[in-house]
Amino acid sequence: MTVLLRCVLISVSILLTCYVLKRIRHSKMKIEDSIFWVMFSLLLVVFSVFPRVADFISRTVGTYSTANFIFAFMIFILLSKVFFQSIKISQLERRVTELIQMLALDKEEEREKEEKSEADSN
Amino acid sequence: MKERVLVVIPAYNEALNIERVVGEVIESYPMYDYVIINDGSTDHTAKICRAHGWKIIDLPMNLGLAGAFQTGLKYAHRKGYAYAIQFDGDGQHRPEFIFPMKEKMDEGYDIVIGSRFITEKKPRSFRMLGSKLLSLAIWFTTGVKVKDPTSGMRMFNRKMIKEFADGLNYGPEPDTISYLIRQGADVAEIPVVMDERLLGESYLNPLNAVRYMGKMMFSILFVQSFRIRNRG
Repeated sequence: MTVLLRCVLISVSILLTCYVLKRIRHSKMKIEDSIFWVMFSLLLVVFSVFPRVADFISRTVGTYSTANFIFAFMIFILLSKVFFQSIKISQLERRVTELIQMLALDKEEEREKEEKSEADSN
Repeated sequence: MKERVLVVIPAYNEALNIERVVGEVIESYPMYDYVIINDGSTDHTAKICRAHGWKIIDLPMNLGLAGAFQTGLKYAHRKGYAYAIQFDGDGQHRPEFIFPMKEKMDEGYDIVIGSRFITEKKPRSFRMLGSKLLSLAIWFTTGVKVKDPTSGMRMFNRKMIKEFADGLNYGPEPDTISYLIRQGADVAEIPVVMDERLLGESYLNPLNAVRYMGKMMFSILFVQSFRIRNRG
């Protein structure tokens, strides 16, 4: 790894961490949701500042090279994140659908009641 | 005497057809209750219905056929209807077949499908190939022969209405039928005749048809076997 590449990696990961923390400070994100990104960006900082850590884990788990380990690891994390997001979107869609349906049905029920009371008063 | 049958008419941008379709149902068949589900149409569908004083439920946003139909069944469930039938707002379905379907329901079936291919043979076309494949898939997974799985004209009883009203993944599609059969629903078919859609465009272009087939086959053959029944 060249010195330049390492500098870029370190600065990018630190920038990302700062940005995530800033978003949380300004409460643009729910804390539960931000935990993932804080951990993720900290992990990037650790790997870029101490590449030895990644080398060590790579050797321990037996991957061919450190790069392979990092790629496989990150892809796994991101894939599971996407999967859980997918579940969340499904749930949200369902809730929105239920709300729209309830709104329409309740409105209709109210109209029926009004018509009924009007008919009764006449 | 009302038959306690609710005709659910989902309509999305059907301003060209709705007047004729719904008008026929209301005038010639006053023994059925009906409800139009306006699926967030951007044309004058709602306006036309209101001008006639028809019963219409306005969805504030477009939910798609599954969401619109589910709204109708939720309505049926709230009002305690014995049967609900899906009746397309584009003029393909003929109201004279509602009564024979209802009679068949009275024999104790859970679902009655208005089938185009009981007496008539399926013509040879790509569309019919798709229909055949779906029939085969349903037969393969449930052991029940459904001759017209894509028919949109289906009648459901109280038990099914509740199931549809509360559930997720209960679109009015063949995969739901296969799922329900597997859960022990009794399905019958009676012969009906359907018209070509009157006016306006069908969403079924070749690309959508292929996508639809893929989704349905995958769902029937694979996904449905993983589903668990949440209510006894």
